[in-house]
Order: sequence, then C-alpha cells, then structure tokens
Amino acid sequence: FQAGRIIANLIVVGSGVLVRAFAQAYRQALQNASKNGVAREAVENMKKVSKAMSESEARQILGVSENASWEEIIKKYDSLFENNAKNGSFYLQSKVFRAKECLESTVRKDGEKVMS
Amino acid sequence: MTRREAALILGLRESATPDKVKEAHRKVMVANHPDAGGSDYLASKVNEAKDVMLGKTKGSNSAF
Repeated sequence: FQAGRIIANLIVVGSGVLVRAFAQAYRQALQNASKNGVAREAVENMKKVSKAMSESEARQILGVSENASWEEIIKKYDSLFENNAKNGSFYLQSKVFRAKECLESTVRKDGEKVMS
Repeated sequence: MTRREAALILGLRESATPDKVKEAHRKVMVANHPDAGGSDYLASKVNEAKDVMLGKTKGSNSAF
C-alpha cells in the first residue's frame, strides 16, 4: 500500500530530524554550561563584588567590631570559613574569604591596629 | 536580593523545589547560626535567601 511507504518515509525522515535536533540542543547545552556554570557565576560575582566590598560590610560578614584585633578577626574567619565549607554554599564561603581579605589590607595598613 | 543571589547563597539551582529550599536553608544555617559562632549579618542573608526562593518576598537590591 502507498500508505505503508509514506509512513515508512515519515518515520525515517522524522527520526533524522529528531536526531539532528537533539544533537544541536546537546551542543548548545554544553556551550551554555561552560559559559554559565553556577560555580563560574559565583566566581564572576565574586570578582565584581570584591571590588565593591567595603570595610564595614566585611566586618558585618565576619561579625567583628571596628576595634577587633587581627587575632579576633582570624578566629571568626577560620570558623566561618570552615563551617561554610562543611555545610554552607561556595558563595558564602567566598564572601567570608573576601571579607577577611578586605580587612587584611585595612587592618594591616593602620599602624595602631597591627598585632606585634 | 535577586532570586539568582538567593540561590547562590543556599547553593541551589534557581528552579529548586520548596522542599529543597527548606533543606538547604537548614543546612546553611547550621554553618552560620549566630549562637554557634556565625555572624548575624550572614544569618539574616541566609534567612532572606530562603524567603526569596520561596517567593515570600520580592527584592531587586543586591544581596551584598
């Protein structure tokens, strides 16, 4: 029957189209993943935000006062960093790290606050 | 706080289900609980992230 042949043709052509569409979608997904992976986004966000992180925000993140000693800051940093490494998100862990980094330059710069 | 930032804070995909959000929130709070050496600031961000992911609040300001 003609119908049989037509149906057979449709199936062959149809599956060809599907295979090609799938391959294209897969390729696009791979590209998207390499461009937009969450980890990479977190890192990009970190790069953007670290330029803008203020000292006061860094202190808030670590929960230290303006008069906190470097020893105190490091103690808070160590515990927050480790806890977030265990149970938190990469994003928060990075924030904690950036906060310490930010205060490092601030506290060390100010002669009065440097620990001997 | 945008949904994207909220998801990053909780270590989730933006499409996470409410159950996953609550699970992640509990876990991340363990790491950042004020009574356990965490900072109030981070704890409040984690709570805010949960609310945003559950659609309880809308905000367009930056998380940090």
